[in-house]
Amino acid sequence: MKINVKTLFLLSVVISFLIVSLAYAQQSKFKLKPDAGGKLCLSCHDNFKEKLKNQFVHTPVKSGECSECHNPHAASHGKLLDEDANKICSKCHERIVPKSPKSVHQVVMEGNCVKCHDPHASNNKSVLLKAGNELCFECHKNMGNAIAKAKFKHNPVEKGCTSCHDPHASDKAKNLLKNDLVALCISCHKPDRPNFVKQHMDYPVVKADCSSCHDSHGSNKAGILYDNVHQPVANKVCTQCHEPPSSSATFKTKRSGFELCRGCHSKMMNETFSKNRVHWPIVDKVGCLNCHEPHASKGKNLLLGDTKSLCGKCHPDTMEHQVKLAEKEKQEKAATKGRPIKGALTHHPIQEGECSACHLPHASDSTYLMNKPSFIESCGACHDWSKHTTHPMGAKVADSRNKNITMDCMSCHRSHGTGYRYLIPFPNVTDLCVQCHKQYKR
Amino acid sequence: MLEYWNAGGKIIGQSLVTEYLGGEPNLERGETMVGASIKIIMIIGILLLPMKSLSAETVRLRYIQSVYFDEKGGGMKQPEGIACSERGLLIVGDTGNDRLLRYSYQDRSLKAGTEIRVQQLSNPIRLQINSKGEIFALDGKKRRIIRMNPDGTFIGYVDGEGIPSPSTFVPRSFKIDANNNIHILDIFSARVLILDPEGKYLKQVLFPKEFGFFSDLSVDTRGNLLLIDCIKAMVFSASKDATSFSPLTKSLRDYLNFSTSLTTDNKGMTYLVDENGGGIVILGRDGTYLGRQLSMGWNEGLLYYPSQMAINEKGEVFIADRGNSRVQIFNLIR
Repeated sequence: MKINVKTLFLLSVVISFLIVSLAYAQQSKFKLKPDAGGKLCLSCHDNFKEKLKNQFVHTPVKSGECSECHNPHAASHGKLLDEDANKICSKCHERIVPKSPKSVHQVVMEGNCVKCHDPHASNNKSVLLKAGNELCFECHKNMGNAIAKAKFKHNPVEKGCTSCHDPHASDKAKNLLKNDLVALCISCHKPDRPNFVKQHMDYPVVKADCSSCHDSHGSNKAGILYDNVHQPVANKVCTQCHEPPSSSATFKTKRSGFELCRGCHSKMMNETFSKNRVHWPIVDKVGCLNCHEPHASKGKNLLLGDTKSLCGKCHPDTMEHQVKLAEKEKQEKAATKGRPIKGALTHHPIQEGECSACHLPHASDSTYLMNKPSFIESCGACHDWSKHTTHPMGAKVADSRNKNITMDCMSCHRSHGTGYRYLIPFPNVTDLCVQCHKQYKR
Repeated sequence: MLEYWNAGGKIIGQSLVTEYLGGEPNLERGETMVGASIKIIMIIGILLLPMKSLSAETVRLRYIQSVYFDEKGGGMKQPEGIACSERGLLIVGDTGNDRLLRYSYQDRSLKAGTEIRVQQLSNPIRLQINSKGEIFALDGKKRRIIRMNPDGTFIGYVDGEGIPSPSTFVPRSFKIDANNNIHILDIFSARVLILDPEGKYLKQVLFPKEFGFFSDLSVDTRGNLLLIDCIKAMVFSASKDATSFSPLTKSLRDYLNFSTSLTTDNKGMTYLVDENGGGIVILGRDGTYLGRQLSMGWNEGLLYYPSQMAINEKGEVFIADRGNSRVQIFNLIR
């Protein structure tokens, strides 16, 4: 291609003009004297001189462009920031979150970049506040403790969380994973190696989910299996539940829903089905797996999670109600400035997610899947009301409002809370009592 | 429609109204007459418009009476199932007593309360009556549907002859439509099974891909199937000939706690029984939220963990008020 000398000259003039005007733009924004930039600021903020000796310095700081972030005269935001503290970083780092992310780190979503980064300088790469996993475990304390205690460690975790996770966001997978879980695993663990094939009983596990059995953060079981392993998995008898690996439908279970589990857990199943009321999810398509892991789990009894989140998954209304009550409790406590308030607003076992303190998870002969034949017995397991004087209750004491009902704890209280003290459905005790004792109604 | 008419009521084009009325515009002498008719129709329409829109928001339940006992004075115990027929038959599933109670309810007069005990039935949690007066009950313990004669004698089980694989089905609920076809909510295989009046397989409609847990189904007068997802607080629907379900509503969580039962009336309105919230949520045919009725409590007219609800053509509503061990009767006021 033949380039005209005249054209080349014009092009170089335009480019030079753009470079000069860009450099001047910043200075001219505040009409700073030449070379005034950072030097001028440091003449007052001399404690920053030490900071700038750190190994890693944020680029605008390094080039003395303090006014990239701060307004030297006045600002509507703290620290004379030119923009809201949660938005200012995205002015330059706008591509930190991909366009269609599958997961975003909460602090990034909140724009709380300073939770991890020093905006000026630090001795850690990427101006991080702390190096390596130490920074992550500041927030993810439980994870840090579990990793520290794990008997069998996963090497990439030791190297750093960023081996597998993108600290900002991921457009490929959940949990900030840099890639789809299996793809990530097989980038190190080659599935065609004989030992890998043998360990997985010839099953093409690359089509499955590694986290169904393995705890990628380390565990106390060899092979970093979760701490609680289903016996057939521990015994490596996958065919007890699944079609053989040679089958065209390899991972298909031999039977559906509860029918599969019944093969081994027949005693428990027979007991369940002998009751008047079954917890319906047990007999749906997913069956036992609504609550239990089929292979291995961190939780006892191979539960999918803690009972609060497990029960709350299907009973969100109950859990939301508990959150509201806890909030009300907190507000009322704050309003009384530490003075004790009589009567509970929340019921401890429900707040703690101990649903099984009153309910049976599989089946019961009682309504609401209660663990005892009557509310009096259920409540009595924790409340020793029966040891002292109470309002008449029991099978022989009819409720004056309705002859088909006998007096029990639920005649006056609602165990899940009502928004009123003592878990009663009225603002005060008198309002409750006069429902039956009408002669005292004013 | 109005743009076809000028301010003087003169015809300047073929009106949709005249098309609808089947009238040809008479440009010589009839134009003023047609114009006047249109004006009258418009005025009536305008006058009726607010009434119609108001009526959609004023559907309410008026308390009539409560039923506590059988004919011998025996009390109900946590009744969960209820069904009514156009002939004034009212059947109550007295779940806690493992029996059915048969009443007649006509002109606001409740009679009998005869006990029906069937050896094959325990824990009746859902009831239906077909046009022949046959009684169907879902046994909550055995999870089987049994069929009985109008007098309560056992006929047999509804086992779904000819059901495609998997042959196992677990009915969570069921409904019988105007043609006596039996619609079963099979939670084990995530489908609705439709059987003919004799219990033979006709077709199935699979549950949608994404759902929480379906606790009840209903069939409206047009044959549309409705499902209530108690976890997502959403209603799904499938038209009569559809092969799949789609959401009819968004999440109704703001109005609904935990709904385990739904039914429809002859106007196509849907009634969701809010078990945990002790109330009834009313939806229009298109799934629009129209309001919430009743509330939680022990007094008559209030509900405490209600279970099934039934409506007859007269707009009489029967609710199995399980937690209060009674049945409550309401009138639907539009």
